[in-house]
Amino acid sequence: MTTLHRDPILDGPVDLIPAETELIEAAMRWHFDPRTGSRFWLDQADTLGFDPREDIHTAADLARFPNIVDRLRHVPAGDLIPQGYAGQDAAIYGVYDSGGTTGPPKHVVFMADWMERLLARTDQEMDARDYPRGADWLALAPSGPHMFGAIVRETVRLRGRLNFTVDLDPRWVKKCIAAGHPEQADQYADHIIAQARAILESQDIGVLVATPPLLERLVRDDELRKLIADRVQVVEWGGAHMDPDTRYLLRTEVLPRTRLIGRYGSTMVLASAIERAGLTPDDPCIFDSFSPYVTFRVVDPETGESVPYGSRGRVVMNHVSKSVLLPNNLERDEATRIEPPPGRVGDSVADVSPVAVFGDSPVIEGVY
Amino acid sequence: MPARSPSATPPATDRPEAAGTRVADNRAEAAENRAALIELDALGPAGPFRSRNRLPITDLAGVPLAELSLVPSLYVHRAVAALRAAEPLPAADRFVALARAGEVFATQTVAGLSVEEYSHAVSRISGMPISVVRHATETTWRALLGAGRDARQARPQASVDDWHDPATQGGRAVWTRRGEVFAVHASGNHPGVHALWPQALALGYRVAVRPSRREPLTAHRLITALRAAGFGPDQVAYLPTDHAVADEIISAADLSMVYGGDDVVAKYGADPTVLVQGPGRSKILLAGEDWHHHLDTLVDSVGDEGGTACVNATAVFTDTDPDGLAAALAERLAAIPTLPPEDDRAVLPCQPTEPAAALERYLLDHAAGTTAHLGGAGITDPVPGGGVALRPAVFQVDRADAAQTGIELGFPCVWVAPWSPADGIGPLRHSLVLTAITADERLVDRLVAEPTISNVYVGDHPTYWMRPDVPHDGYLGEFLMRTKTVLRD
Repeated sequence: MTTLHRDPILDGPVDLIPAETELIEAAMRWHFDPRTGSRFWLDQADTLGFDPREDIHTAADLARFPNIVDRLRHVPAGDLIPQGYAGQDAAIYGVYDSGGTTGPPKHVVFMADWMERLLARTDQEMDARDYPRGADWLALAPSGPHMFGAIVRETVRLRGRLNFTVDLDPRWVKKCIAAGHPEQADQYADHIIAQARAILESQDIGVLVATPPLLERLVRDDELRKLIADRVQVVEWGGAHMDPDTRYLLRTEVLPRTRLIGRYGSTMVLASAIERAGLTPDDPCIFDSFSPYVTFRVVDPETGESVPYGSRGRVVMNHVSKSVLLPNNLERDEATRIEPPPGRVGDSVADVSPVAVFGDSPVIEGVY
Repeated sequence: MPARSPSATPPATDRPEAAGTRVADNRAEAAENRAALIELDALGPAGPFRSRNRLPITDLAGVPLAELSLVPSLYVHRAVAALRAAEPLPAADRFVALARAGEVFATQTVAGLSVEEYSHAVSRISGMPISVVRHATETTWRALLGAGRDARQARPQASVDDWHDPATQGGRAVWTRRGEVFAVHASGNHPGVHALWPQALALGYRVAVRPSRREPLTAHRLITALRAAGFGPDQVAYLPTDHAVADEIISAADLSMVYGGDDVVAKYGADPTVLVQGPGRSKILLAGEDWHHHLDTLVDSVGDEGGTACVNATAVFTDTDPDGLAAALAERLAAIPTLPPEDDRAVLPCQPTEPAAALERYLLDHAAGTTAHLGGAGITDPVPGGGVALRPAVFQVDRADAAQTGIELGFPCVWVAPWSPADGIGPLRHSLVLTAITADERLVDRLVAEPTISNVYVGDHPTYWMRPDVPHDGYLGEFLMRTKTVLRD
């Protein structure tokens, strides 16, 4: 029973990355086979207007799928599990939510085999960027319904020693700000920084993980800045945007000897893309995705067509693995389209930002 | 905000004579470098900073003339921390450096721009008539020359400047700063706004200025000049930011001054660390006087400075013949020619076509039910080189408490209202300047006592009259300073 549905591509060795068409064709067979596919995708199959098993071969073909992520707010999350996992022990790692910025959160199911692949990849990425092994980590990152905390926990188990954590609830912060109480969001951030201070002062932290706003608050305090500059070898940021000027200042003035490494992730791809190795403080911050499992496209949101390399557009994300199929999701982020590294699929992205809002709001009345 | 003050007495300090001749020299260079963008770098504690996030600053036709380096919040907090950690210069050095900066600002090439190139760029970007820009440059120079003396006009008579003063031996009030770092959210309606905040430097504050995108050149020029004159990069900073980061400057500084409309008043009005420079809504009242004798003052109060200043008259109240007054005002204001702002003879402000059209719609919507004497069919008039002039508007309302008399717009636009003693001073409240042309002393008593009227000019004085040693909206020093007792042996 337990070995009924193994696939040579989808279940290949964790450190062997399949070719694009091999992976995508195998995944289409898996997700749209009535014996192995999830109830969620099998229910959609008839409405697609094409047969994924016949018509979808490449990452580019994924653009034919509708963007289904809004349905993840309401669908029973158990229906997202491919039925081919039935009977397999400990197949499910957990269920995680999107941030919940716009309406009810979207749920995704994280399978254990995907976590294994993701960690194998993360381990290689960290070696390539000279992350210390056996170090103690401090993560200022949300746990609970958010994938971020779980991935850090697994990463530290794999290659670190102690994982110090300070929890945070990003939804509460957003709620405070939306309700016109930025001072409450400020107090909450101070509460987190105070907890982080106690750990940084007493523990030998080698890797610090934080969101850009929290990192900025940490280094605003010159004592904390010195503690981090003196002790921490790698500062990894993610979970929110960092503008190019802040990144430049952090790397040149604020933490000149610390390695600052960005991650651009999304719950909707169950992964994050790490900053390309070897970039200077003045280079655009380029993120390369874990292709062909996770692929990006940078498009003109009006036409859906790819923008030229070097131009700005909206980011479309795809996730294709044995565990999940989440194709053609138009994110709210803007980015510069960059050529991927040799042999990789889709686009790399740079200088990811929310939609830009500049300057003073237009005012008619008054002289100012 | 500071504006033309023809009757102002220049401070006692010698006025350098170089300005006129150098301006003439500079004119020859003005045509150069037009093609290159003016780089408006942030000026922080480590010197100029050219950010990756740069905002194009365009002229009236939408042509980019400059690039403004917007800094992120990390830069703001580090800059303000550096300002706070710095010691102020000794007082005497501050006054010397302010005076020197005034001369540099008004006569020399600063950050690559001659005085004339600067004036031209400001007029093309903001639409302000170039003669107003030039005059504001001189006003700012005078303000810097006198900043030390003018700032101290606010000092309570019973206090002394320094605890070393022998008077403290028996116990005495000492006038001291309420904080160390003063932030300014400047406005872009008139370059003269930058004549006021240097008083904070005179008082020993370190100052961070966030410029307006509508006119970011003047603050950049002035702060560059202050640095050239002896204020270190840890004394005064130029911090352009986008809207989201703007509040960070206020939260990081000890005290702030913010220019803005009713929205800004609502946002910061209750914050004791913020001095709000709100709407001017300046007014003129004629009571028991024949307006024919005061028409020049009325016209000038409406139209001087391009009508862009908070001290321009927004409404005129009269107890005699409002119809005739409105018609006469309209006739005089209609004679002002439409010219591009860089023309030496230009009087009217200009704007890019789109915001001007929005302004026009706003005016005409709100003027519904009033009598148009000028501008009833619209106020925009295209000028060569792109954009439109904002032509004067004169509307007559039929009652003193008509809501329109509070609508202040950034061009010569005036509401004429009837007034009788029975209306009282209610309609005259909330005025930065109230010119009262009247012999009624009881009425003047009430106007002077009214807390929402900031300045009262009795007699035939234009609303824009101003002198740096008298308060503009209270003395800045009232906000920046406090007294404390020092008793010593």
